[in-house]
Amino acid sequence: MKMIRRIMVILLMCAVALIVGGSAWAGDTIKIGIIGPMQFVQGKGHWNGATLAAEEINAKGGINVGGKKMKVELIQSDSNEFLNVTDATNAMELLMTKEKVDFVLGGFRTEAVLAMQDIAMEHKKIFIGCGAAHPELCTRVAENYNTYKYFFRGTPFNSKLLVKTSFLHLKFVGDILKSQLDIPALKVAIVAEKAMWADPMVTATEGFLPKIGMEVAGIWRPSAVATDLTAELKAIQSSGAQMIYTIFSSSVGIPFARQCGELKIPAVQVGINVEAQKDGFYEATQGMGNYVFTMNTYCRGVEYNDLTAPFVESYVKRFGETPPYTADTYAALVYGLAPAIEQAGTLDADKLVKVMEVGEHKVPSGVVKYMVDEQGRQLHDLTWGPGYLTSLGVQWQNGKPVGVWPNKWKATPESQEVTYKGIADYKIPPWVIEAYKKK
Amino acid sequence: MSLLRYHLRKLFMIFKNEVLVLPSRIVVCIFFILLLIWPLIFEDPYAMRIVILASIFAIFAASWDLLSGFTGQINFGHALFFGVGAYGAAILNRQTGMPPWGSIPLGALIAVLAGLIVGIPCLRLRGTYLALTTLAFPIILASLIMTAPEYTGGEMGMSGLARLAMSRTANYYIVVVTMLVLVTVMWKITDSRMGIIFHAIREDELAVKAAGINTTMYKLIAFSLSGFFAGISGGLYAHFMRIAGPSTLEVSMSFQVVIWCVFGGMVTIWGPVGAVFILFPLLEFLRMWPEWRELMFALIVLIILLYMPGGLLPWVRNKIETECPRCKIRNVAFRSSCRVCAAEMK
Amino acid sequence: MAFDILITSLINGSTYAMLAIGFSLIFGVARIVNIAHTAFYMVAAYCIYFTTYRLGFNPISAMLAAIVFVAFLGWIVYLIFIRPIREHEQAVLIGTIALAIALQELMLIAFTGDYRTVPALIKGFAQIGHAKVFYQQILTFGSVFVVLGLMRLFLMKTKLGLAIRATAQDRETANLMGMDESRVAMMAVIISVGLAGVTGAIIVPLTTIEPFMWNHPLIMMMAVVVLGGMGSIKGSFYASFILGFAEALVVFLVPAGAFLKGAVALSIMIIVLLIRPAGLFGVQFEEER
Repeated sequence: MKMIRRIMVILLMCAVALIVGGSAWAGDTIKIGIIGPMQFVQGKGHWNGATLAAEEINAKGGINVGGKKMKVELIQSDSNEFLNVTDATNAMELLMTKEKVDFVLGGFRTEAVLAMQDIAMEHKKIFIGCGAAHPELCTRVAENYNTYKYFFRGTPFNSKLLVKTSFLHLKFVGDILKSQLDIPALKVAIVAEKAMWADPMVTATEGFLPKIGMEVAGIWRPSAVATDLTAELKAIQSSGAQMIYTIFSSSVGIPFARQCGELKIPAVQVGINVEAQKDGFYEATQGMGNYVFTMNTYCRGVEYNDLTAPFVESYVKRFGETPPYTADTYAALVYGLAPAIEQAGTLDADKLVKVMEVGEHKVPSGVVKYMVDEQGRQLHDLTWGPGYLTSLGVQWQNGKPVGVWPNKWKATPESQEVTYKGIADYKIPPWVIEAYKKK
Repeated sequence: MSLLRYHLRKLFMIFKNEVLVLPSRIVVCIFFILLLIWPLIFEDPYAMRIVILASIFAIFAASWDLLSGFTGQINFGHALFFGVGAYGAAILNRQTGMPPWGSIPLGALIAVLAGLIVGIPCLRLRGTYLALTTLAFPIILASLIMTAPEYTGGEMGMSGLARLAMSRTANYYIVVVTMLVLVTVMWKITDSRMGIIFHAIREDELAVKAAGINTTMYKLIAFSLSGFFAGISGGLYAHFMRIAGPSTLEVSMSFQVVIWCVFGGMVTIWGPVGAVFILFPLLEFLRMWPEWRELMFALIVLIILLYMPGGLLPWVRNKIETECPRCKIRNVAFRSSCRVCAAEMK
Repeated sequence: MAFDILITSLINGSTYAMLAIGFSLIFGVARIVNIAHTAFYMVAAYCIYFTTYRLGFNPISAMLAAIVFVAFLGWIVYLIFIRPIREHEQAVLIGTIALAIALQELMLIAFTGDYRTVPALIKGFAQIGHAKVFYQQILTFGSVFVVLGLMRLFLMKTKLGLAIRATAQDRETANLMGMDESRVAMMAVIISVGLAGVTGAIIVPLTTIEPFMWNHPLIMMMAVVVLGGMGSIKGSFYASFILGFAEALVVFLVPAGAFLKGAVALSIMIIVLLIRPAGLFGVQFEEER
């Protein structure tokens, strides 16, 4: 059945590609390159989001460029960046020089995105990064504006802000544990995959935990592709931690959650676990990933604003899964690029940059506003905070991801409480309750 | 004036009698000329990029052949030299602001050091032991790089390096000319007395030792030379891509170079170079079927090997050229008598 | 903690042992450095995933099907791609590399790059002291010894086993004694790939299945084989536990450096080789005539 559906989707996509490709000959189109690891979830997210966006824009007749309606044409490019960075740069160059695209969206592995960024900038084409979180991508814009001004961050907000958000999650879950289980001082085990993006997060967490009255039980740095974590888990259990702060972006998130659930380690998992953001997580962990808490961008049933539900639902309907964060190519196209083009009335990159970096616009995951750094230089990085982008805290409950944060969250003591529509309560795993209730 | 004319005439005679008589030499000449005039004909930056990268990898592949093909010291961790060269150049460029023409050779010298560090302990190992042990070195280095992210950039690598040159065409000429020069130098080395000793070490190390030749020294020379050339290619790569990351140390990088060399024919220098210029664009061509690309690539390599286990280019060469049974001079395949000793060809 | 380290190293070690012994066998008998060995292990894992989830086999028959299928696949591949070029050592080498890439890409196309898992044969865990051990891990550990015992019986007591040992010792003489060397080599390939399949079948509930899962075990397996001495099954056995122990030690004693466990194991291998260039139990093969 699944197979048939997949074939149907492929056929449909072929048909769309034919129609879109066919119409390309008919008149002027805006060519947009979508670059990403197309054999993997991240790249598929890029492509699916963009497909949805292109269909929506073309159904309205296209983008109005200085009084002329132009349709959008997507060009898929498999960067193969997980396996071969050289390949990724070649794919980018191909998009720039052979396909002669007007804009590029996508990219995931930081090492590859940095190299691809250089190529796009050389050709003075706008490149909206939809995957890599490293701040370096945007500090380059500030430090060398004339060269790098064509780069914008599409999603996610940078990794410093990711940490900030996940600290809020940590405190949120910690408070629940404290009040419900009556644990006076919480111990937290930090488990982060060995990767550069996680390093500053680990140091930051170490410094942050004592400030909110929690103790660091230990730091573990397994390889990003480790498959057996029983050793780490046993060590965590003997350290007496009640909470595990996870920082995972790779496959390690699955065996960790699975073995943790299977061994019934009496500690709750909070943090970032990219694998747990995917719909297949419950199945991939054989159901052991229940109660895992992770930061996520979208969750069915939770609405940031009135744009969220239509996007999430049409994505689910079309592709059979909740949109991953790389599918924000949709938002970048529909709410970012298209209005900017209409406002500027041109496809000229320099003029568009001036339009795109000012102002703010609503997207399905909040409001996008590009930041400036302390010295007032343009960063082209995303603003975080209530009223802008916050992302969600999602917990797996009975095999389904459920949004649990922000729940009556106050960014500052005097600010307004934030609760998005569709947020549910956080649940403590029963075996954790059992382990600490006895005493 | 007449002297000039004499020399020109002599050059023409050499060209006519030594180059034009053998198809393989004509092919090499055409290859050189084509590479040098390519940007004048096609101004396509994408095609230029492919040639540039192919040239960088050609140096890399030839350096593997110099070590593993000639001396028989099969090195499964050749990415180590490439990575050290790339990181060496990157660190020098980033920390001291040294321009590429300084950082690349110095990075290559660091790679020579790496060659010695690997070479000295590995002198006692042979055959498959050596191959599988060398495989470990780049992996260990990659782990070390992850432990010191503040100096090496961790998995993100060191980015924002200086460009080789401002324009694509200038980049092209820098890389291509470097490649042609270095490959010729490597070919000359293998053609010299040292090259013959390398050959002999592969065939029978004991006999070479018995002949009073210090094989240890020659093996170390092979390691350092190979490290130097691979280091140069790594440095060029880093400055061309403007990033040196851990992907330069991946196992697939080490395997890739073995595939190129064996595919093109080992112990030739020109074989691996030719193979890179065939296989690298092939992989780009296969982009037409993005999903099937790597699979088709692997199958093509497998099937060609099935028919030409000694490598593609030597096979082709043997088809178009034959060796004189008496004086061992090569001739065009269709000649009925040897061009030098006039012996009958069979 | 000492007990935890012990358990973990035994389990790590037994996985490596299973893989290394198959690899060692094929090298000893047929002189093939089979880079694709762990790729067959990956194929076995996918086979089990496919048969349990898409065809609805029960776990035991899925395992058997996987082992048979992989051994068969190994045989076919050997006949088509490797046997015709066996005399060209280098060609075989990259032949197996290309084969591994081809298998990886086939799986990538068929199953995409998503991470997958299969359920354990026996769910749950046992409490030994205050350490928790999965039943599946105990099962793995046990089956390694069973398989190794069977292998030993086979090599020591059967005629084919004798032939395999003889060929491993001296190919030429074995051939002269009237053994069909190419048939023996073929049997060794089937058994070796079959062992990779068995490993895949036993390990699969403990790991994540993905098309690149063959990379890490490949490196570790090679390190084990080199450390133990090429072609020595006994050596591979000891070496796998030494490296398994080294990995466990790193994870437990330097938690913040857990990612270094592979590098530490490889460094141990290099140091041992500097002292004993033929590994712990290896003999330098005489140059073949």
